[in-house]
Amino acid sequence: MPDASRAAAWDGPRRGFRIREPAVGYLFVAPAVGLLVAVLVYPALTTLRLSFSVPGGLGARHYIQLLSDPLFWQVVRQTAVFVVASVGAHLLLGLGAALAVAGPIPARGLFRVVALLPWVVPDVVAGIVWKWILNPLYGVLNDLLLAAGLIAQPLEWLTRPGLAPLSVILANVWRGFPFVMVILLAGLQAIPQDLYEAASLDGAGPWARFRFVTLPGLRKVLVVALALDTIWEVRRFGLVQAMTGGGPGTLTEVLSTQVFKQYFHFYRFEYASAMAVAMTVLLLAVSLPYVRMIMQEE
Amino acid sequence: MRLRLGTVLATGALVLLSVYVLFPFGWMLVTALKTEQEALRIPSTWWPHQPTVDAFVVMWTRKNYGLYFLNSTVISLSTAVLSSAVGALAAYGFSRFPLRGGSFLMGFILTTQMLPGVLLVGPYFRVLTALGLYDTRTGLVIAFLTICLPFATWMMKGFIDGVPRELDEAARVDGCGWLGIFTRVVLPLSLPGLVATTLFAFLLAWGDLLWVSTLTHSESMVTVTLAIARTVQEFYVNWPELMAGALIGGLPSIALYLALQRWFVQGLTAGAVKG
Repeated sequence: MPDASRAAAWDGPRRGFRIREPAVGYLFVAPAVGLLVAVLVYPALTTLRLSFSVPGGLGARHYIQLLSDPLFWQVVRQTAVFVVASVGAHLLLGLGAALAVAGPIPARGLFRVVALLPWVVPDVVAGIVWKWILNPLYGVLNDLLLAAGLIAQPLEWLTRPGLAPLSVILANVWRGFPFVMVILLAGLQAIPQDLYEAASLDGAGPWARFRFVTLPGLRKVLVVALALDTIWEVRRFGLVQAMTGGGPGTLTEVLSTQVFKQYFHFYRFEYASAMAVAMTVLLLAVSLPYVRMIMQEE
Repeated sequence: MRLRLGTVLATGALVLLSVYVLFPFGWMLVTALKTEQEALRIPSTWWPHQPTVDAFVVMWTRKNYGLYFLNSTVISLSTAVLSSAVGALAAYGFSRFPLRGGSFLMGFILTTQMLPGVLLVGPYFRVLTALGLYDTRTGLVIAFLTICLPFATWMMKGFIDGVPRELDEAARVDGCGWLGIFTRVVLPLSLPGLVATTLFAFLLAWGDLLWVSTLTHSESMVTVTLAIARTVQEFYVNWPELMAGALIGGLPSIALYLALQRWFVQGLTAGAVKG
């Protein structure tokens, strides 16, 4: 019970200065906002300006060049496939794993802890270990598949054009599904148990319970997982860079590795800037519904 | 009876998933403990016939992994502490004060989370060079703030929103100023969130490859992730050594995560499940 007389007498911070309350709030927020403007907004605007700079002024030349570059569209397609396949597999595998682990099974607590490890380590590490597992000569996956009689020849996972993108996605599925699993698991546990009991009483079988209780209950968590994962996978760099460096040729290039190359291998700064801006626009367009949803909740 | 069958199936699925999740880690370790000759045997041996820790020794003696490790640690710790401290202050401001333009600023911070690193690397390269911060740890910490600060603010806001305002009032009655309420009431009560946020920032900084490859060039600034990424691109790869390097690169993340996992998972999921 607070002391009423003291509470009544209190009329502001007791230091010598008096600041109106909202003003204090700005002081708390200022360092973060100031830092973000300096370290993020300013460089982003610099890139934007650079992407429009042509000899003697401003112009859209680099964008015209970009949009008529078949390589750019090829990389956009590859990025789309990489992101959609990775995120789709993360959600499916993550949901399946969460459902399997949600029940009363031995050692599930331990599993929950351990399962997040692939997501915790640097993505470079994930790329490297899969590069070794998929090594055409000494890789253990080829050994296993040969021994099982599933393939007759060792497969060149990372250099055969049709296989390389798939291999990169495979490694990224391993790296990324644990996060989705962990947050879906938390979502599952937040669904009240009596909803399931009520559904059972109404004669709902396992599928109906999943369809009408579990999925609606997970809706919000699924959207968050989908949005965060999509943002992360569009930006993914280290895994691809370490695993294939974009090769064979340009077949596993994604937008981030390609912008990096345009900058630091080919030194086409304006062109790279235009590509980075295009990538940002795509990413913002994809994530706008998510931003809107989150902001409405605030 | 049907329940039993379900449990059996789920246990089977769990075993398969565990193998899938853990095998690459096990294979890293097994390979790192082999001699190079044995690592290149066809078909692979499942267990090192002459286990050796030479690969690890080489990393720390003939190669510079001690230095790389130190670089990664200093940079990631600084980033983690700085971004969660500044983020927590901002989160407190957003959570407790009716700021004009507050939701606009929160939206701004959320949007900055979506800007890809490659949008920023070009200017960073130039600006840091102009400031004399290119190829320094400070430069990298500044760059990592772009990844870590936005989400640290958002994550901390979620936790601080969860601390009941009545406690603020009580502390105020007891004579605490705004800063006192923050440091003595709000921060201690959102400690799990602070731990989760700091760890997340650490993991992001520790795992980065893009920024260290663009903002450094000298041997003395190399981080662990950059070192192993460089090695794998070389024409000739010594796999046991590379696997040892990858383990060294993953170990701090794993150790910190295991030590703090209770708070981390709680913190990671709180925001997503809330509401």
